[in-house]
Amino acid sequence: MPLIRLILLLSLLGTSLGSRALDLSRKPQGESTLLTADQAFQLVEARRDPGGIHLSWLIAPGYYLYRHRLAVEPADGGAALPALRLPPGQPRHDEHFGDVEIYTTMLDADLPFAAGQRVPTRLRLRWQGCAEAGVCYPPVTRTVDIATP
Amino acid sequence: MSSARPNLAIIAACLVALAAGVAVFLLRPGAQPDADDTAQVGSTPAGDNERLPAGLKLTELDGRAFSLDDYKGKLLIVNFWATWCAPCLHEIPVLVQMQARYGAKGLQIVGPAVDDIEDARRAAPGLQFNYPVAVGTPEDILDLMTKLGNEQGGLPFSVVITADGRVLERQLGEYSEAELVALIEKNLPR
Repeated sequence: MPLIRLILLLSLLGTSLGSRALDLSRKPQGESTLLTADQAFQLVEARRDPGGIHLSWLIAPGYYLYRHRLAVEPADGGAALPALRLPPGQPRHDEHFGDVEIYTTMLDADLPFAAGQRVPTRLRLRWQGCAEAGVCYPPVTRTVDIATP
Repeated sequence: MSSARPNLAIIAACLVALAAGVAVFLLRPGAQPDADDTAQVGSTPAGDNERLPAGLKLTELDGRAFSLDDYKGKLLIVNFWATWCAPCLHEIPVLVQMQARYGAKGLQIVGPAVDDIEDARRAAPGLQFNYPVAVGTPEDILDLMTKLGNEQGGLPFSVVITADGRVLERQLGEYSEAELVALIEKNLPR
């Protein structure tokens, strides 16, 4: 794991501990403090790489992103994009959503493009997640510029 | 033995560098959440003289317009929910039960949906609401939620308003059945 990622993770852990958000019970407890969605789920990388576009999120301890709620689309209504390559998530059974997968701690995703294929410079990304403390956040939509090496 | 010493020195140097890096990162401006950016999970009492803002207009699932002012004289619980929010879907049956049990005694629950209207319409029959569900664009409902004191945006979120229009408390996260019974029985209009 690159050092900068480790540092970012430790930062998120410190942020979460600082806000006493590590309550893993389903029922929220009084006095536990909740991060904002932008603090809980940080898009830390959106960059070109040899295979296409690489995206990374850091997820604060005690929070999770839903796999089925991650989406990517062209920012300017351009050509359709390839499917986002996501790693397997942690399985979770939800009484309302059935069998779902979630991501904790960190998520790396790739948008693969073949050689010679036009790679967009901006993307619209969408994600949604919850706190284990029993609170969920509205879907977040962000238009991001793709960093080039 | 002697070959272990350089390794230890390298590890120690790496740990010091890591600690320094973490310290720099944690101490950078904005690394820690500001008090204004976070919210307490659970219930938070309202200020002593906090009143429900007047004139908050809503639209029911069937398109009928109504206002929270219509429920003056009742104990009002405004419960924000969404179809993508599992804790909300878990809490709604308890709220439905409370409305059935205490509706005739002066309780009124209203459920604004932080959802696209069609998503809320599709989900509503299965949730068997016996109280009004308010819809709009997600942005409209989030705006209403902000006006009622949830700037952070988490769900479920409830605001409890007494019969005389005083904001009693806010709840971020689910109420348990026992909490609701105690809250409602204590604050029903006399």
